Amino acid sequence: MKNGSAYVSMRDITKIFGTVLATDGMNLDVEKGEIHALLGENGAGKSTLMNMLSGIYIPDSGHIFIDNQERKFSSPRDAINAGVGMIHQHFKLVDILTALENILLGQRKGFLLQKKEQEIEIRKIMEKFHLEVDLKKYVYEMSVGEKQNLEILKTLYRGARVLILDEPTAVLTPQETVVLFRIMRRMKEQGCAVIFISHKMNEVMEIADRVTVLRKGQTIDTLKKEETNPQELTELMVGRPIDLSIKRLARVTDERVLKVSNLRALNEEGIEVLKGIKFDLCAGEILGVAGIAGSGQKELCEALAGLYPIKEGEILFKGEDLAGKNPKEFISRGISMSFIPEDRLGMGLVASMDMVDNILLKQYHHTKGIFVQRKPAATKAKEIIKKLDVQTPGIDHPIKNLSGGNIQKVLLGRELDSQPELLITAYPVRGLDINTCLKIYDILNEEKKKGVAILYIAEDLDSLLGLCDRIMVISNGEITGIVDARKATKEQLGAMMLGKKEDDYAV
Amino acid sequence: MQFRLVKKPEITQRQYTVIILTAIALALLTSGLFILLLGLNPIQVYLAMLNGAFGSTYRLEQTIIVAIPLVIISLGIAVAFKMKFWNIGAEGQVIMGAFFASYLALNYQDAPKPLLLLGMLAAGFLGGGLWGLIPAFFKARWGTNETIVTLMMNYIALKWITYLQYGPWKDPNSMGFPKIPNFTANAILPNFLGVHLGWVIALILVVIMYFFMNHSKKGFEIAVLGESLNTARYAGVNIFRTILFSMFISGGICGLAGMIQASAVGNTLSVEVAGGVGYTAIITAWLGALKAPWIVLVSVLFAALVQGSSYIQSAFGISAASASLIQAMILFFVLGSDFFTKYKVVFGSEFLTRGKEARE
Amino acid sequence: MKRILTVLLVILLSLTLVVGCAQKAPAPADEGKEKMKVGFVYIGPPGDGGWTYAHDQGRKYLEQELGVETIYKESVPEDQQSEKVMRDMIDQGAKVLFVTSFGYMDHVEKVAKEYPDITFMHCSGFKSAENFGNYFGRIEEPRYLSGIVAGMKSESGKIGYVAAFDIPEVVRGINAFTLGVQSVNPDAVVKVKWTNTWYDPAKEKEAAITLLDEGVDIIAQHQDTAGPQVAAEERGKFSVGYNSDMAAMAPKAYMTAPVWNWGPYYVQQVKAVMDGTWKAEAYWGGMKDGIVDLAPLTANAPEGAKEAVEKAKADILAGKLNVFAGPLKDQNGKEMVPAGSVLSDQDQLEMKWFVEGVEGKIGQ
Repeated sequence: MKNGSAYVSMRDITKIFGTVLATDGMNLDVEKGEIHALLGENGAGKSTLMNMLSGIYIPDSGHIFIDNQERKFSSPRDAINAGVGMIHQHFKLVDILTALENILLGQRKGFLLQKKEQEIEIRKIMEKFHLEVDLKKYVYEMSVGEKQNLEILKTLYRGARVLILDEPTAVLTPQETVVLFRIMRRMKEQGCAVIFISHKMNEVMEIADRVTVLRKGQTIDTLKKEETNPQELTELMVGRPIDLSIKRLARVTDERVLKVSNLRALNEEGIEVLKGIKFDLCAGEILGVAGIAGSGQKELCEALAGLYPIKEGEILFKGEDLAGKNPKEFISRGISMSFIPEDRLGMGLVASMDMVDNILLKQYHHTKGIFVQRKPAATKAKEIIKKLDVQTPGIDHPIKNLSGGNIQKVLLGRELDSQPELLITAYPVRGLDINTCLKIYDILNEEKKKGVAILYIAEDLDSLLGLCDRIMVISNGEITGIVDARKATKEQLGAMMLGKKEDDYAV
Repeated sequence: MQFRLVKKPEITQRQYTVIILTAIALALLTSGLFILLLGLNPIQVYLAMLNGAFGSTYRLEQTIIVAIPLVIISLGIAVAFKMKFWNIGAEGQVIMGAFFASYLALNYQDAPKPLLLLGMLAAGFLGGGLWGLIPAFFKARWGTNETIVTLMMNYIALKWITYLQYGPWKDPNSMGFPKIPNFTANAILPNFLGVHLGWVIALILVVIMYFFMNHSKKGFEIAVLGESLNTARYAGVNIFRTILFSMFISGGICGLAGMIQASAVGNTLSVEVAGGVGYTAIITAWLGALKAPWIVLVSVLFAALVQGSSYIQSAFGISAASASLIQAMILFFVLGSDFFTKYKVVFGSEFLTRGKEARE
Repeated sequence: MKRILTVLLVILLSLTLVVGCAQKAPAPADEGKEKMKVGFVYIGPPGDGGWTYAHDQGRKYLEQELGVETIYKESVPEDQQSEKVMRDMIDQGAKVLFVTSFGYMDHVEKVAKEYPDITFMHCSGFKSAENFGNYFGRIEEPRYLSGIVAGMKSESGKIGYVAAFDIPEVVRGINAFTLGVQSVNPDAVVKVKWTNTWYDPAKEKEAAITLLDEGVDIIAQHQDTAGPQVAAEERGKFSVGYNSDMAAMAPKAYMTAPVWNWGPYYVQQVKAVMDGTWKAEAYWGGMKDGIVDLAPLTANAPEGAKEAVEKAKADILAGKLNVFAGPLKDQNGKEMVPAGSVLSDQDQLEMKWFVEGVEGKIGQ
């Protein structure tokens, strides 16, 4: 059956999960030798569509053509046999094997016999795509960027000519992103079709040839990059006009709220994960924290919130030392601090409980008697829904069924409700669509205006540079510098994230 | 044949009903075939099972007597399970509760009846609770695997009673037969409306546990801790104390069941005082979704199944093993159907043809 | 989960309705209200080839002879569960209950009090009431005979005895067996191993193996399974069974066994109940009543044993030989029964001491 001329062609793809229409007759055409970006808010159907192209889900109806031939995939193996491979956000690698062993793992060909020949073949691919992977290195020794390259190499070796990259830059430093983009361009030159899923408008504008915008399970439009702009794409994505700029409000006071000095902590293996952290935070200030994932951000936040054991150091909150105290003591001492943890459903909220019980989590300590009082919590839940525009079927609906953005709003709403003087937020916009991001930035600015001191941990340098007053960079458990966000550049931050100490920053 | 399991997305009410109905139909069909093999009419046997469980006042009473410990122990297990503390030790906690209560019953025979019974109830709770505290402490302090510890402690409890029954507590008037002396009338729970008072205690517990689990602060903390340890720490729950407290309650309730069984049913302590009901109650607690009202319903249904298969044994001369087999087959299908609400099986033919097309 | 339950409930309710409507077509259990119904409570399964098998043979004989309906429940534990089994049987219309193990005694007593119109017969106990009798047989007599066989066969002079519980019934049997052994082999000893079970093939076999390891060359038993017989067979030694002919389980080892024959007694009792002449009694029949006997000797039995056994049996039947006639000494050499007198029935029923020549302890 012939259909058009595009190399990859998806026609009228529909997929229903239970009662949710995930993709509603979607269409997508991708050519050989192009980088095709898929843009869309959370829940627009990007991942569902790509999971069907890579054989993880089976479409309920519709057709997939590769090179003018209709295909039906029932497993990722079928897809890779047809030349379609997907690089997921979470790598599927075995830590205790070397790069080479990971590539050869699960192959039907002989494993030991032809290892030499296969290695030669792999090296050819590396050369062709300018991929640099140390084949003898163990995966557990690799950085995130190296692992990603390995995943790409593995997929190419298995014969993929259509590569799907699911938000590949989310875990990378700016420098690593540059390397990735170089590889992607090389794939394009070699005649591969590259599909790039991303939230980040600037990256899409930098690398993509064409952009397909998805919204609520439907294909809205496919545009050539040269013929469009971020504003137009965003509006297509959201479905209405929108202001993309992040506002930075002026600081109002210099009153110091938090003073951290010489903070040290060990992880379970006894390795030092916080190495003498030192910084100040003022009322009405947003202090950004930048760093490669796993540099100590999580431990820093949890140490401040009394959830991570501290070896030594001082955490002075309005003159009171919080070091070594637990959340229960914070509550009984009336410490006015709120913490938005990175893992919303794993730490901040209880996934299977409804909004009322999740709000109760913060309130029940303060009521008298042995029984919980759900009425005030229910009232509060309704207020939060109204104030933050939470999309939910009702306050008694388990929050795990809400979208990421709405879950975050519930968490933020609850935490801000206690009128904290210090707000610690870890990756508050991670995984959220642009519309919700902007809403969250507004909320943070709102708090700043009220004089709340905010510690803002994030991975997206654009938002850090746009929103914060100062940016503190953490690398391998150490502060490599604190810079003025108005003057800093991405390159400067990137270098500091890799460990280069800022000249005027003395530890 | 080649087949794979695929996780299902959420399924609709209709699909759910179809799966469950299929499971029940299959259960009745398979056991029906088995009954035919025994040379009996399956429909008659099924009707006799119902008849044996509910057919007369006497049979209904017997079904309730079987259901009482199931309800109480399931309530106890539910507390621990809600916290995702896999307490497989109900059996041992029942036994230790019975042991503590029996100590009072055998040593303070002349105490006034209400006082003695109340004392025995308290002792039963204490015995089961303390037995539950041990694995809780190990888990909270050293992170030991509670499944194994609670399971092993069942054997310790059982062997302890065996020792008492064959040794120091052996009835001197039993001519050497290893049994513990019967309780005096003072230590035996009286009947109320045809069945021993245990059913009233069970119903009171159902109400208490309903409010405890759904409306008390401790119950709330237990639920939060069960869902996420980190969230519980975040919310300021004292993890150590909550684990200990809830296991004391969990074991204590099981201990109460032990007291009731020893006093009202056995009229003494014996190695059979729990008789495996501590394990059965895991099934009923789970099928009852750890919720008090559902636990009552499931326990009564389960008791009916037990009673029904006991009835057909003597009514049709079916051997004990065959009757258990029928009971097990019905359970297997009903429990197993839960799996098919979450997964579906993709069979070889479909899998292969699709793969072939793709490779062409 | 809730949904499962809802569906279950609906099905159950509709089934209950069906039952309600079908009530007029009675279930088999409710059939023949006029017919006499007799219930049997068994400690093991009828297929145990031992104690329960012997009772079940009696039940079948009863059915055949009187045409009464019988129901039974197997593997009933000797605890409160047995009470429920009895009540269930009464609920199902049983008018006479034969409850066939010692440990049920107190439970029978309790249930008998609740149901004065029902006749209870308890096997091997010593309690009774108006509607509650006990019955047993002098199995000591054939045990004594089996001791003669074992005593003649033993070369090592050590004989093993796998025993259930140290209750008088079992102790009596061991003593009778030992006296039989000593009547032909005065220096032989009988080693006793307790299992604390009636029905546990693996455990009982294990106990026999332990005895064989200690050097015994004959295994006797007071157990309801053939486990010890199998152990003797596997080791190439010889054995004396119990309850019923166990030749099939250990063809090369089995020599003979004291056996029960309950059928005629059951017929007689049930007939008495039907005629309204039944009275509670403590029945204790011997070989001359036919309730107990020694199974035919197999080719494994020693030469001359048949003649010796027949002579002793004739003496017992003639009243010339009493198993527990004095002089009898206990393990410490203390004289328990002086020469010329006989141990009274009451003392036999409460026997808690071993005769000289038994190696074992009571009250462990």
